[in-house]
Amino acid sequence: MAKLTINGVSVPIDADPRTPLLWVLREHLGLTGTKFGCGAGTCGACTVHLGDQAVFACQTAIEAVGDTPVTTIEGLSAAGDHPLQRAWIAEQVPQCGYCQSGQIMRAAALLRSTPKPGRDRIIEAMAPNLCRCGTYPRIVRAIERAAKET
Amino acid sequence: MDTAFVEPTRRDVLRSAGLLGFAVLVGGGIVVLPEPAAAQQADPVPLNAWVAVLRTGKVVIRFGSTEMGQGIGTALPMIVAEEMDADWSQVEVRQIDQGPPNVYGNPKTGGILFTAGSSSVEGYFEPLRRAGAGARRVLIHSAAAAWSVPAGEVATEPGWVVHRGSGRRMSFGEVAGLPRLVTDVPAIQEADLKPRSAYRLIGTDPGRRDIPDKTRGSAVYSIDVRLPGMLYASVLPAPVEGERPVTVDGAAAKALAGVVDVVTLSNGVAIVAERWETALAARDLVKVAWTRNSPFRTADSETDLAALVQAATDGGRDAVAWENRGDAASALSAAGDRVVSAVYTTEHTYHAQMEPLAAVAAVDEDGKGAEVWLGTQSQTLSIAAAAQALSTTPDRIRFHAMPMGGAFGRRTFFARDILRDALLLSKQLRRPVKLMWTREDDVKSGWFRPATAHQLDAVLGPGGEVKALRHRVASPSILQFAAPQRWESAAGKDLLVMEGTESSDYAIPDLLADHVLVERRSRVSAWRGIGWAPNCYARECFIDELAAAAGSDPVTIRRRLLSGSPRGLAVLDAVLAMSDFGKAPAGRAHGLSFAGYKSTRGAGVAELSLDDATGQIRVHRFWAAVDPGFAIHPKNLNAQVEGGILFGLSGLLKERISIAGGEVQQSNFHDYEPLRIHEVPEIEVRIVESGAAPSGAGEIGVPMTGAAVANAVHVLTGKRLRRMPFTPERVKAVLSS
Repeated sequence: MAKLTINGVSVPIDADPRTPLLWVLREHLGLTGTKFGCGAGTCGACTVHLGDQAVFACQTAIEAVGDTPVTTIEGLSAAGDHPLQRAWIAEQVPQCGYCQSGQIMRAAALLRSTPKPGRDRIIEAMAPNLCRCGTYPRIVRAIERAAKET
Repeated sequence: MDTAFVEPTRRDVLRSAGLLGFAVLVGGGIVVLPEPAAAQQADPVPLNAWVAVLRTGKVVIRFGSTEMGQGIGTALPMIVAEEMDADWSQVEVRQIDQGPPNVYGNPKTGGILFTAGSSSVEGYFEPLRRAGAGARRVLIHSAAAAWSVPAGEVATEPGWVVHRGSGRRMSFGEVAGLPRLVTDVPAIQEADLKPRSAYRLIGTDPGRRDIPDKTRGSAVYSIDVRLPGMLYASVLPAPVEGERPVTVDGAAAKALAGVVDVVTLSNGVAIVAERWETALAARDLVKVAWTRNSPFRTADSETDLAALVQAATDGGRDAVAWENRGDAASALSAAGDRVVSAVYTTEHTYHAQMEPLAAVAAVDEDGKGAEVWLGTQSQTLSIAAAAQALSTTPDRIRFHAMPMGGAFGRRTFFARDILRDALLLSKQLRRPVKLMWTREDDVKSGWFRPATAHQLDAVLGPGGEVKALRHRVASPSILQFAAPQRWESAAGKDLLVMEGTESSDYAIPDLLADHVLVERRSRVSAWRGIGWAPNCYARECFIDELAAAAGSDPVTIRRRLLSGSPRGLAVLDAVLAMSDFGKAPAGRAHGLSFAGYKSTRGAGVAELSLDDATGQIRVHRFWAAVDPGFAIHPKNLNAQVEGGILFGLSGLLKERISIAGGEVQQSNFHDYEPLRIHEVPEIEVRIVESGAAPSGAGEIGVPMTGAAVANAVHVLTGKRLRRMPFTPERVKAVLSS
């Protein structure tokens, strides 16, 4: 049986190797913080980390994951207090909240590679992720706040 | 691993949703409570239908509206907490999943549990402040009895009951633990309610209660629910509304390991499997022959829009008057060729809520009851739909109204198909079922804001004043389709299409707003902003055209129109000042729109530039001034207005559903792409409080956007944008016309 390393834990996976990581996370393992939005890599609601990279879980077959560790919103921080998560609360970002796990995961990958991104870099990096409620201005402010604090 | 893996099992969901067994009480009244002495520390002691206090001091406040992102689960309990003087840090909020509408219904939505039309604060403000004041009175009278002092000597501070004379104090939790609660208290009168000047909580920003979970992935939506033994279902929808499956070849699908069944439904074919990925794979193997005789086969966006324009502009068509002041028809006919006219159109838009529709149902063994998890804008309507699907009574439906990953009108009357299918599948297969629509299903089977055509005619007076206005809208009826039983008693008046055309803030002596009812050619629904968005777009563009015809300007003409509306003038003046209107930097222009949404007033200014080569509009800044009476939770109200503005801009710049041969041509976000982060302007919102009764803010941002943008484009180019959406190719065509 294949194994994946998810949020630091090795997990046996009983699924066809071509199965998108998204379904394994959500429906096999109950990690429902990662959301299904489009299934086509166009909305970013399913964004997780594969190693240090932000990827669309809906476009990542589990056979492509191999030994690379996967991090989901549930594993981003031990107590839900990653600087971005704190900034998201401080700026009161979420409305419906459905896209926000993906937004936070993409922003976390950005801050890891670019700890002090300018506004233009933030907007460029966040462009793959849709938010229908229109929280974009607050997303930008929250990333700027988190970047200042770290 | 334990902490990382969240499994919202049936038991967990039940525990969180069903902790409080509130007695059903009459509206706002006080009843005799169960013997509190027997109560455990953690048992809630209900003070009335909305409020319970625990002996720990915790106060549990219930709210009737469902949470779709608007922050209502914080704003409504704040109203109760304010009046009862609860300590907000001790308050826990609970959404009502089901309960008698005569107790919990919103007076502004027909008295049922229904969250729509930005009506939650407006409708619940009075009942909830009375519920809070009633709860406070029980606490006061109970403490007074325990102290043997007159109730009139007892007051409250947040979380405490205080006896002024002796300085004695009792926490709310201690009162809840008294052996006897005095519930037979005088009814709350208007004078018992706090004046605004005494508010401690309303008007502050304690932060939304739902936000922390939404930063940690722990908010559970209906699509996230998992039950032991649950099956997964995907439904192949009919390609065109009204078609039915004739023959279904499910053999190849059933041969796939893990496929449980292929079930023919009335308007689709369900593939049910042990796993979701199996259901999706099997779906591609099912061969269905559909009927081909649906009248909707001939639906076509282009020809249907042309027919709408024809209906709006052909003066001979029957129309239902929505608003009639003075005698606009005579004024127009007397004016002859001095009448100024213009035609505007809008087209189908899709809600594109981020969570595709999903429903989870576990039908009881007898097939006559069920437990249901659904993201819905109406508990009452959803429970009724579930009962109907199972031919049972509503009391047999145990309902969980889940947080919604966006709604925008998509989940009002319109979640009933997926709920029905989930119930029927669970009943047939005798296991819990989670039915999920793919994004493609959600788009293809969407219920869209209908296309509309607007004919506007006006007569100007010698001083440039608007003497008469006719606003004629051609559109199918949304109400007729969505709520046929309400349509029967509506006398042809469709508020979902026509609201906004009454232009009630405008001083126009002769005004006629009427509706040419056109046969429905697609599934239609309300969309954030409802009729206000297309109607304010058309009217406010036309007001700018009238200003030009009168040799006036956008500000002067509106000031005059708003001369009888202090609230309208206040938001207009505020947004003019905020934007330094008319003084855009070189290469940019400002456009202005006034816009109401029911009792809430708003005005917006867009600052934009235009790429002549591509026709691409770039909105750089947007200012909005909004008067919601007063704000319960100001920062959240501000966020709602921002979101509404972006929703409006997204629709008018980018969004269009097209239909050909009855089939929706778009399928996912690659061909129906809402606004992305790099397309967002800098937004500034100012709340201009008039002090009137508080009203909604979830939609006021939308109606002001269309004309603000179109009017700015006119300033920049001299061209009118009379067809929404303003896609680059369309703008380019207008520029070269």
